[in-house]
Amino acid sequence: MVPGGYFGQALVVDVAGESATGTPLQLDERVLRAYLGGVGLGTWLLHRLAPPLVDPLAPEAPLAFVFSPLVGTPLTTSAKFAVVAKSPLTGLLTDALASSQFAISGKLTGNDAIVIRGRADVLSVLLIASDGVRLVPAPELAGMGAAEAEETVRQAHGRGWRTAAIGPAGERGVRYATISHDGRHAGRGGLGAVLGAKNIKAVMVKAGTRVAVADAASVLAAAKDLRARSFGPATKKYRELGTLANLLAFNAVSTLPTRNFTSATFEGAPRLAAEELQEMRHVARNSCASCSIGCEHIYRRAGGGSQRMEYENVFALGPLCGVSDPDDVFAASARCDELGIDTISAGGTIAWAMECVERGLIDEPWLRFGDGTAVLRALDAIGERAPGLGELLAQGSRHAAGVVGGNSIDFAPQVKGLELPGYEPRTLQAMALGMAVNARGADHNRSGAYEADMSGAVDRLDGGEAHVEAAIGTEDRAAVMDSMILCKFLRGVFDDPFTEWAALLSSVTGWDIDAAELHSTAQRIVMAKRVFNQREGATAADDRLPARMLETPLEMASGRVASLTESRLQAMIDGYYAARGLDESGCADPADLDDLLLGQ
Amino acid sequence: MRIGARFVDVHQNAKAAGLVLAGGRSTRMGAPKASLEWHGSTLLHRAAALLGRVVDGPVVVVAAPGQSLPELPSAAEVVEDPVEGLGPMRGIATGLAAVADRASAAFVCSTDMPFLHPAFVSRVLREFAAADTDVVLPTARGFRQPLAAVYGTSLAGLIADLASEGELRPGMLFEHCRVTGIDDQQLLADSVLARFDPDLESVMNLNSPDEYEAARARPPAEVAVQCFGALATAGHRGPRTVRAATLGAAAEAVDVPLDQYVMAALNGDLMTRDPHLPLVAGDTVALLSADAGG
Repeated sequence: MVPGGYFGQALVVDVAGESATGTPLQLDERVLRAYLGGVGLGTWLLHRLAPPLVDPLAPEAPLAFVFSPLVGTPLTTSAKFAVVAKSPLTGLLTDALASSQFAISGKLTGNDAIVIRGRADVLSVLLIASDGVRLVPAPELAGMGAAEAEETVRQAHGRGWRTAAIGPAGERGVRYATISHDGRHAGRGGLGAVLGAKNIKAVMVKAGTRVAVADAASVLAAAKDLRARSFGPATKKYRELGTLANLLAFNAVSTLPTRNFTSATFEGAPRLAAEELQEMRHVARNSCASCSIGCEHIYRRAGGGSQRMEYENVFALGPLCGVSDPDDVFAASARCDELGIDTISAGGTIAWAMECVERGLIDEPWLRFGDGTAVLRALDAIGERAPGLGELLAQGSRHAAGVVGGNSIDFAPQVKGLELPGYEPRTLQAMALGMAVNARGADHNRSGAYEADMSGAVDRLDGGEAHVEAAIGTEDRAAVMDSMILCKFLRGVFDDPFTEWAALLSSVTGWDIDAAELHSTAQRIVMAKRVFNQREGATAADDRLPARMLETPLEMASGRVASLTESRLQAMIDGYYAARGLDESGCADPADLDDLLLGQ
Repeated sequence: MRIGARFVDVHQNAKAAGLVLAGGRSTRMGAPKASLEWHGSTLLHRAAALLGRVVDGPVVVVAAPGQSLPELPSAAEVVEDPVEGLGPMRGIATGLAAVADRASAAFVCSTDMPFLHPAFVSRVLREFAAADTDVVLPTARGFRQPLAAVYGTSLAGLIADLASEGELRPGMLFEHCRVTGIDDQQLLADSVLARFDPDLESVMNLNSPDEYEAARARPPAEVAVQCFGALATAGHRGPRTVRAATLGAAAEAVDVPLDQYVMAALNGDLMTRDPHLPLVAGDTVALLSADAGG
């Protein structure tokens, strides 16, 4: 008996030559209950299907689209899926969430996950429906922007199909290429390059079946309640201004990374602020599929057109590169969308290169902080992997620093190869820990420890034991939200999250889950990610921040100086290892591995 | 007698503590000063919370034996003077001993200084860090201010010894250790202090009901409040000047409830939603969404 909300199988699609073959992989109920779905189940699938030490861009490297038990229910924000693979940027596990109808249609092909392996002979489109899989050669899509490719294949294959596609950057193996769908991206870690390495331009899915939930009336009641709560004060920020509301606020509290993390305040912040753009440029608000929050805010571009803007793309392509003209940032964001590249890694890598130019380590004198045209030029070079700078920056800041040498790795804004998001670790020291130890690398979605820093619950400038507890707490909550899956922008509506989430899952699946079990699930998922990374060669040395963050104090606007020393960070990391039951090297106790069900 | 301890470590890495002397008989006031109302909290709460804004070490309230205290800031500690009625020097010794393992110096104040400005505390602490001394003793508004001064924590034993010998006057201590004076002019060389407390009212204390009533009747200081994000409703972007003695009053002045969905940043630094956090002239308050997700 398959639990509610599941099909009890993943479809493993092997692509070879000009054809594709789908093979069901039965998923034991114990595995489903242990990992839920999304990021959790994807991690288990990678353990199971990725050959150890596989090259992320090799044909045999698996790329998993993973759904969840809540997908397809009326629960708000549940139309999400995870894309999980070994990252070409970090060489470790990466997972990215995205929201669209692709999640619902993908699941209703009759699968809890779709895993793609192999490589097509020519650039192709992979079609997956409940009655089979097909590979359609599509060399005419080569070089096409992600959105244009989506539209083209939609027209070619008719209504009813939902599409995830890559842009030219994914085809060309840019290590931080994204997978795009309905204008949104599975953004971090280079998943687009993994799909591109399989010579697949687009994956199309078509719903053909239905999935039952255990207690439909209860799910409906919960959905109604959750929807009502989603209109409350906890989500007001997202509804009214979106994530870009962070920018001016972060600037006010000295946590807006600027000019490659040499400052935490940006004099040009007011020009890029949501408060300003809302009055002058706002044209629309939009929602993901099945979402009642509606956090997307669309702004008018000078000269025509519009662009969706989020905090992270504005931070990375604006302040981080010293750019304050909103039209420059809009244009850069649009270019990233077309090329299909992660804005955070793109901005971080370009900002690093700008500093290299200042220091005489890269001889590209046009690439200067504050020059929006230079950012666009660099993005084009990256998207093309143009010889020289484009090829260098397409590798991400860590790889590029290895080529450039000098001390450039010290100020490469990355952890495990993944560029830092827009949260300054020296002034958010719980977040500093979260970014250091997270399996995906420097990340704000798998560790939301900034919540503690910004809450006043801990001294954000003096990391210690309380910060460890906070970082673990947010990491655990993220593990569950990313696996069941619900949008994190909804997190503020839950008074007793684990208890409430357990109730939702019980209604959908029929399992008698309680908060304690869900806590264990969270810890298992976090552990499974770490164990995967260790299998792929990660060590405690990967759990660190760039030298700049540990050696260079940062003066805040208040006049205080924020310092995060090596010893302070290490003390927090040691505390994290101990609290997670890891040894001094951050390795799992072999006795704990049985709980991960990796042999199932 | 000369204190042998040196304070080189306070210059960079050692922490500074805050001590509030809450004892005293409040004879002229006719009521315990510590519990006198001050803009929604008490004089003692304000003094302790204000020191908490400045020092990076512990804040300790020194109480008389069995003294009933009003609600204090959550981070404040309380120690009791073992003996009642021996005056402030005994209290200073007790307080310094309580923080000696966690701080190299302490700013000491009494409970009845509602106009104490953080810039004053910082200025005196900086003088201590810069000088080779045991005490930094301000002279302000014409008087030496031993209860608005910085003491090295290693003085605890000496002061206790002097007190046990019946030497309860601060002057006796100053004869036995290194004292660095700092006068009005030197104090006001600090531009922030000169701007926001030009008359050095930081050192004013309240001894009688009339003084208390007059002080209480004064309008609160001017502070700047700026709302961000969804809190910045139409027409209310940018900083607004309001009069408010506490964070709660500042938020109320701009019609923003300090609930679970709102967070405040004081001077771009301290994150809090404590409505009793004392504000002073020159403060800026940023009101933000509590959700920093992006």
